[in-house]
Amino acid sequence: MLAACGKPAKSRLALNWKPDPQFGGFYAAPFQKHGLDVEILPGGAGTPTVQMIGAGSAEFGIVSADELVVARSRGNDVVALFAVFQNCPQGIMAHASRHLGSIGDVLKEGTLALQRGLPYARILEKKYGFDHVKVVPSPGGDISAFLRDEKFAQQCFVMSEPLQARHAGVDVKVFPVADVGYNPYTTVLATSGAQLKSDPGRAAAIVAAVRDGWRAYLDDPKPTNTRMHELNPSMDIAAFAEVAEAQKPFIETGDLGMMTAERWATLIGQLAELGDIPQSIQAQDCFRNM
Amino acid sequence: MRKFLPPLIPFVVITLALEWMVRSGLVPSYLVPAPSAVLRALLDNREELAAAMTKTSAAALIGFALSTLAGVAIAVLLSSSRAIQRALYPYAVFFQTVPIIAIAPLLVIWFGYGMKTVVASAFIVSIFPVIANTLTGLLSTDPALRDLFRLYGASPAITLVKLRFPAALPQILTGLRVASGLAVIGAIVGEFIGGEGLGSVVDIARTQQRVDKVFAAVLLASALGLALFGLINLISALTLRRWHASEQLQ
Repeated sequence: MLAACGKPAKSRLALNWKPDPQFGGFYAAPFQKHGLDVEILPGGAGTPTVQMIGAGSAEFGIVSADELVVARSRGNDVVALFAVFQNCPQGIMAHASRHLGSIGDVLKEGTLALQRGLPYARILEKKYGFDHVKVVPSPGGDISAFLRDEKFAQQCFVMSEPLQARHAGVDVKVFPVADVGYNPYTTVLATSGAQLKSDPGRAAAIVAAVRDGWRAYLDDPKPTNTRMHELNPSMDIAAFAEVAEAQKPFIETGDLGMMTAERWATLIGQLAELGDIPQSIQAQDCFRNM
Repeated sequence: MRKFLPPLIPFVVITLALEWMVRSGLVPSYLVPAPSAVLRALLDNREELAAAMTKTSAAALIGFALSTLAGVAIAVLLSSSRAIQRALYPYAVFFQTVPIIAIAPLLVIWFGYGMKTVVASAFIVSIFPVIANTLTGLLSTDPALRDLFRLYGASPAITLVKLRFPAALPQILTGLRVASGLAVIGAIVGEFIGGEGLGSVVDIARTQQRVDKVFAAVLLASALGLALFGLINLISALTLRRWHASEQLQ
């Protein structure tokens, strides 16, 4: 299985955001020990990792489960190998002072910053309508507009922006998107069907290394956080530690990275109902546990 | 017909080649959409796209108009004295180098979500070529003609209106041509952050991996840029036809 002769082939792993704790296990992964030469490519807002995997400009990449299903329906053969977040960490945060009871209440007035193209945004629109709330583009991880306006709510990673807001002295209430029944795997390691077919050994080795990496990062995130902080100095080291701790319950729910056909089938059903994909996408084609 | 044929040929050739490449599977459709798919996206989403196009057009036009007025005014001020020019021109250059994508989030903080932010973005990226070209034009008046005006005792104001400004028109219009395209780009970038319009359509379609719709919106943005460019050319033809070589040869 290990490359017997000389140097292993280089693999590129494309991230869809800057180095931060959601990628901790990838930076902690002992790739060399598994006979691999992996270059991690940090991303930014809108890095099209799913297309990069399909186009072969990265052998491996980080995607979200819904992205992957939509890509498959468009003929881009991408396969999930390892799901970091077993529960979707996406949510909507609002000022606690508004005393809102549910996501539906958030949509009754004020402003909501949200990526409208995302499936859960459209599920919300379908369920509650956006007639009473002003929907504006998501400012990414920036919370300055949120801090200035009490009636401003925004999409967030539940273990990230809410912490920033609390540090800035604003008490927040967070509504996980999973509350409305939408819970795709998030921060999913994926590869192309062609890559998986031509070199299944490499995919297996990557998954093994990543699993080791996540185990190590969950047990002791400190050394990896220091390294990621050097690559992404805009996030301070205390925030790295805090987020790494807060994300644990989303990651460690059982066997690290493992996925089920039922969860994929549920997601496919939801996306088909939105009209994004045909119902014919097969759950078992979407992923491979290794 | 003879005028339209030359640009039509590359269009047809490229469109057909692209269609063939996608249909034959040479290029996957999730990376580059077939022209026929873009056309379908245009038709299927015509109401949404028309509404977005109206918003983007309005914002780009207002931004462009503002940068024309302000750009020409600033250039007149700069051309009035060497000292003022030395003191202020470097700051005008600032507008050319400002990375709009970096300051666009600040525009939202200053102007709020919506139209004002989009107009401001269009204005910022399109004003510099107007200033630079107008200034060059105002400073390169024929010295002999300037002497003539002085000899007859014309005031600086009269010299500006009757001589320097008309003589600078070809350069001013060149500046406007460059600025018109930039205003459209500025509007779209502003819309990424401020919401609404074609920029918002592109943003949403990209999230949904709808490359066909992204291209449909981009196509409309180009059409808007072309229309503005055509408008400037029309003004140029009308004002320069009688005396400037650039409009007489055709």
